[in-house]
Amino acid sequence: MSSRRHFNPWAFILPGVIAGGVVLGVPVVQAFWTSLHRLRLYRLHDQVFVGMENYLRLWQDPLFMLSVRSTVVFTVGCTVLSVLAGLMVAAIMSTRGIRGTTMARFFMAFYLVPFVATQVVVGMLGRLYVWEPEYGLVNFLLSLVAIDGPMWLISRDTAMLATVITNAWRLTPLAILIFYAALATVPDELLESAEVDGAGGLRTFTAIKLPLIRYHIGFVTLIQMTSAFREFDTVFALTGGGPGRATNVLSLLVYNEGISAANLGMANAIAFTMLIIVGVISLAYMRLARLDKAGE
Amino acid sequence: MAVRYAFLVFWLLVSVLPVVVLVMASLKDTALFQSIPEVLSFRGFTLDNYERSFRQGNYLFFLRNSMIISFSALIVVLVTCVPMAYGITKLVSDRSRGTLVFMVLSTRFLPYVVLALPMYLFFARIGLSGTLIGVILAHLAMQMPFIVWLMLGFFAGIPREVEEAAVIDGCTPFQVFWKVCIPMVLPGLNASAILAFIISYNEFLFAFFLAGYDAQPLTVGITRFIGGADVGAQYGVVAAYGSLIILPIILFALIVNRYIVSGLTQGAVKG
Repeated sequence: MSSRRHFNPWAFILPGVIAGGVVLGVPVVQAFWTSLHRLRLYRLHDQVFVGMENYLRLWQDPLFMLSVRSTVVFTVGCTVLSVLAGLMVAAIMSTRGIRGTTMARFFMAFYLVPFVATQVVVGMLGRLYVWEPEYGLVNFLLSLVAIDGPMWLISRDTAMLATVITNAWRLTPLAILIFYAALATVPDELLESAEVDGAGGLRTFTAIKLPLIRYHIGFVTLIQMTSAFREFDTVFALTGGGPGRATNVLSLLVYNEGISAANLGMANAIAFTMLIIVGVISLAYMRLARLDKAGE
Repeated sequence: MAVRYAFLVFWLLVSVLPVVVLVMASLKDTALFQSIPEVLSFRGFTLDNYERSFRQGNYLFFLRNSMIISFSALIVVLVTCVPMAYGITKLVSDRSRGTLVFMVLSTRFLPYVVLALPMYLFFARIGLSGTLIGVILAHLAMQMPFIVWLMLGFFAGIPREVEEAAVIDGCTPFQVFWKVCIPMVLPGLNASAILAFIISYNEFLFAFFLAGYDAQPLTVGITRFIGGADVGAQYGVVAAYGSLIILPIILFALIVNRYIVSGLTQGAVKG
């Protein structure tokens, strides 16, 4: 105990806190500060304070509202799809006779491929080889069952669906992995007694396993939601926000506004609005799902 | 049981088939699309597309930038985050520990454009735009919350008695950290380092905003290359370039699979 006098944990913490303050804190403050100004990209010395004007203009901007809607659809779609797919794969991987075998490890290693695949390459691969209407993989597979596939990324009606599926493909491995690990903590005795009572595979899953891993489902939902909300790479490479503006999610709108349209004040106002949205939603979510307590 | 195996094989195909199509297409001599059966057939192999990726696409130059960025970011991230996570687990006051853990957790969800745009502006003002240092600092910002959070979990797993015994044996606080705790969290450290490397290598947004030309990593290099007029509609070259980016990282991930699994499940699953 005498050592506690010599040991100050802050000596270990402080460099990290300072580094974090510089690379995380300063940009966030700067984003807010810039959002209160009129500032053009190629005239950086000419910064005019305009207060909340950028924010007020946003709410009347139909393009912003369109992006908000795309982002909601994209985020909800990616989250629901990846959590459901993750649950399904993890549930099957967890059945006795499969779990823990060499084959299970082999499958799991390859299930991680979408997670480590470079997002921009995934986007290009998606555009040229998967969703391409005439020669792409998806429409080829559909043609095998005599379905004439849609135009996917080229059509306003289907572009979002294809974009959601592509990004959910990338997010699913994390869900599989966490659910698979969580399901391993369900005691075998519980399942055996359920089987004695005559419950089938699906019934034991929904009645016993699902409630026991509800914390993990909440956690994965939060992670997937926040990472889909901020996604840029995949969408940029896959559709570039198009066709028209059908998949122009908020991250891309910030880029359009700030770099392409050179309107830094407005772009920062959009970015800061994103920060507020994700902050409010994740805090409320953590409260509701009691994730803030469970992590400790 | 057969249905289950069929589903697992189906999911294996969902996971890898798109990548297989990309790699097979990269090996075919064509400036045009081929149908999927043609792409997947074992005929007409050529390495032309790869040759052009190296020559016209300047692959090695961008690879060099990718490696410098990923490894430098990795070192900076580990040097700042690992001691920080260790220090946080050693804080006596519940309140300051709780506050720091909350800060780490909440910065995990930051939308990256909120950071990238001000950084772009800031680096332009202090002359760091288009430099490797700018991109590396951005990667530090992106990685910190995740890596601190991972390491918190690994450090929390060390039994208190082990450290107390080391103190009784006369270790200084730094020796306890370096000679006792670090070896005990080595698997976790490996997992963190591997994940940080993969995330940096794949990262596009920050590099795209900040790298200019000279500091571009592969992820930005390929988009500029594909957009260039000299390539046009040569899909085989796109596939080859994409394969040259994606295959090394997938192979690496398969080799260190064990660490990725432990890193990603850490913190999410207790016990």
